[in-house]
Amino acid sequence: MTAKKPVEWSKLDNAAKIFPPTSNEKDTKVFRFVCELKDEIDPDILQEALDKTMPLFPFYKTVLRRGFFWYYFENTDLTPKVSEEYKLPCSRLYYPNRRNLLFEVTYYKNRINLEVFHALTDGTGALAFLKTLLYFYITVRYKDDFKKGLPVLDYDASLTQKMDDSFLKHYTSNRIPKKVKITKAYRIQGRRYMDNRIKVIEGVMPVKDVLNLAHKYDTTLTVYLTALFIKAIYEEMPARSRKYPVILSVPVNLRTYFPSVTARNFFATINVSYNFSTLGDSLDDIINEVKECFKRELTQEKLQEHMNKLSALEHNAFMRMVPLAIKDIVLKFANWLNDRQITATLSNIGKITVSPQLAPYIKMFNCFTSAKRPQIALCSFGDNLVISFSSPFSGTDIQKNFFRFLTLENVPVVISTNIREL
Amino acid sequence: MQYCNHCKVKVKGAHSICPLCSGILEGKGDYKEDVFPFIPTIYQEFNLFIRVLVLISIIAVVASFSVNIIFTKESRWSLLVAAGIACMWISLFFIIRKKNNIGKTILWQVGIISILSVIWDKSMGFIGWSIDYVIPAVCVLAMIVMAIGAKILKIGVRDLIVYLLIDAVFGFIPLIFIIFGWLKVIYPSVICVAASIISLSALILFEGDNMKNELKKRMHI
Repeated sequence: MTAKKPVEWSKLDNAAKIFPPTSNEKDTKVFRFVCELKDEIDPDILQEALDKTMPLFPFYKTVLRRGFFWYYFENTDLTPKVSEEYKLPCSRLYYPNRRNLLFEVTYYKNRINLEVFHALTDGTGALAFLKTLLYFYITVRYKDDFKKGLPVLDYDASLTQKMDDSFLKHYTSNRIPKKVKITKAYRIQGRRYMDNRIKVIEGVMPVKDVLNLAHKYDTTLTVYLTALFIKAIYEEMPARSRKYPVILSVPVNLRTYFPSVTARNFFATINVSYNFSTLGDSLDDIINEVKECFKRELTQEKLQEHMNKLSALEHNAFMRMVPLAIKDIVLKFANWLNDRQITATLSNIGKITVSPQLAPYIKMFNCFTSAKRPQIALCSFGDNLVISFSSPFSGTDIQKNFFRFLTLENVPVVISTNIREL
Repeated sequence: MQYCNHCKVKVKGAHSICPLCSGILEGKGDYKEDVFPFIPTIYQEFNLFIRVLVLISIIAVVASFSVNIIFTKESRWSLLVAAGIACMWISLFFIIRKKNNIGKTILWQVGIISILSVIWDKSMGFIGWSIDYVIPAVCVLAMIVMAIGAKILKIGVRDLIVYLLIDAVFGFIPLIFIIFGWLKVIYPSVICVAASIISLSALILFEGDNMKNELKKRMHI
C-alpha cells in the first residue's frame, strides 16, 4: 500500500477564501512581482536559487483542493521549475480539480517574474519570497563578489511565523459594525481583448520628482497619486455618469498595524470615494478629500472593525455548515456585489528595500495584478518609482491622462508595455 | 528609445504608435528593449470533437423526428432517441467538468447512471431492470475500476479513499431493495452488497488511518 505518512494540509486564511470561487479566465486573481537585474538572467542559477528558497517557504509547496465544506491547501511533491516567460502576464494558475502549484517563477531577459495566485499570499508575502529568491540568485551568480562574506537576508521569521494565519490571531469577536449601505460606483466600460489578456503599461520615473510634487501639495506620495488617478478617471467620465461616485479600492497591509510577519495573506481593503456631483473637480479638492478619507479609514480601530466583520462571517456557525458548492455561489454573489461598489483599484507596495550588498545588482522592482477593471500598482526601489497600470480594456485614455499629468509637471517618464499595436 | 511629443514620454521597445495616445513616435524603436515577450492572440475554440458530436446529435434528433412524422405517425419512438441523446450529454457534461479528478468522475457517473436508469425504467412501465441489474452493476464496476485504476495510473490509493468509501456505502443501497422484496432477479444485488462489505473492510483494515485523516481533511468545518 502507499506511504503511511499522512499528508499535511492547512486551511485558507480569511482573505484567501474569496479567491478560489471567484477566479476565472477574465479575472484570474493572480499577481506578478518583477525584479529587473542589471545583467541577463541565468536560468540554471535561478533554478538553483529557487530550489534553495523552497525549504524556507514550505507553505508554497501546496495545491489547492476542494473539501466538502471548505477549500484547503494540501502539501505536494511537485517541484517548481523556472522557465522563460511563455504566456500572458497574470494568466490562470488555479484550475478547479487540477493539481498544480499556485505560483510560478519565470524569466525574460533581465527580469525575474514571480506570479502568485492570491489565495496563497498577498503582495508583502510574495515580496518576502522574491527577496529570498534574489538573495540566493545574486549570491550564487556573483559569488566572486561575496568572497569576504555573505550578506544578511533581511526577512526574519520562523516557519510557524511565516505560516501564521494572522487574521485568526488578531480577530476579536466584539465591535462588529452595523451594515453599511451599498453605494453603486461609477464603472469604467471598455472593449476587452479577445483572449482576455490584460494590458500592462508601466511607467518608470524618479521617485524624488514625484515626492517633490506631492510635497508641493503638502501631502504624501500615495495620497497625491490616488488623487491623480481619480482625476484621470474623471476626465473620461461621461457627464451622465457623474451622479455615481468614483470609488477606489485600496488594499492595506495589516502587518503595519498589527504585529505579524506572516508570508500568507494579511491585508484589508479600504474604499476611497469621491463624488464629482457634489465636490469640485480641481486637483486640490480631490487631494483634500482623499487625505481626509485616508486619515479616517487608516486607524487601527477601523481596520480592526473591518477584519472583525469579515472574520465573523467565516466563524458564523451556519456559514460553516453550508456545503462548499453553495458557498461558492454565495461568495460569487458577494464578489459581484462588491465589484459594483468599486471603480478602480490602487495598491501601493511602498518602498522596497534589500540588503545594501545586494542592491547594486538590482535595477528595479515592479508589480501588477490581473484586472477586472483598471488597476494601478506602485512600488519604489532606490531612485526609481514604478507605476504599473493593468487593465482588461484596450483603451488607454485613463493611462494617458495619468502619465500626462506627471509629464506636464516635468517628471521624466519611461513607458513600456506588453501589447504591441500592429 | 522612442519619444512621444504629445505625452512627453520615452517609450521602450519597438512600437509603431504611442502606447498611451496612439500618436506618432519619434526615433527608432529597438526590439531588444522589450520587457515582455510577444505573445500572439490566443483563439480559444471549443474542442472540435465536441462540436462534431453536437452536430451529430442534432442531426440524429432532427432526422428521427422527421422520419417519425412522415412514416410512422401513430408511434412516438423519436422521443426515445431524443431522450437517449439527452442522457448521453448529461453524462458527458459531468465527465468533462470533473475530468481532472478520476475518482470524482467515476463516482458522479455511478450516481448519474443510477438515477437516469431508474427514470428510463419508470417511464417505460417499470419492468425493474434498473434496480435488478444496472445499479448493482455500476457500483461493483466502479469499485473494480477505482481499485485497478489506482494501481495502473499510479494514483495513490489515498486520493481515492473517499470515493471508494462513498461507493462502498452506496453499494449497500441494493440491500434495501432485497429487504423490501422489490427485486425480480436477486443475484446482482447480493454480489454488490458482498463486494461492498469486502471493500469497506479492506479499506478500514489497510487504510484506516489514512481514511480517518482524509475524512478529517475533507470534512473540516
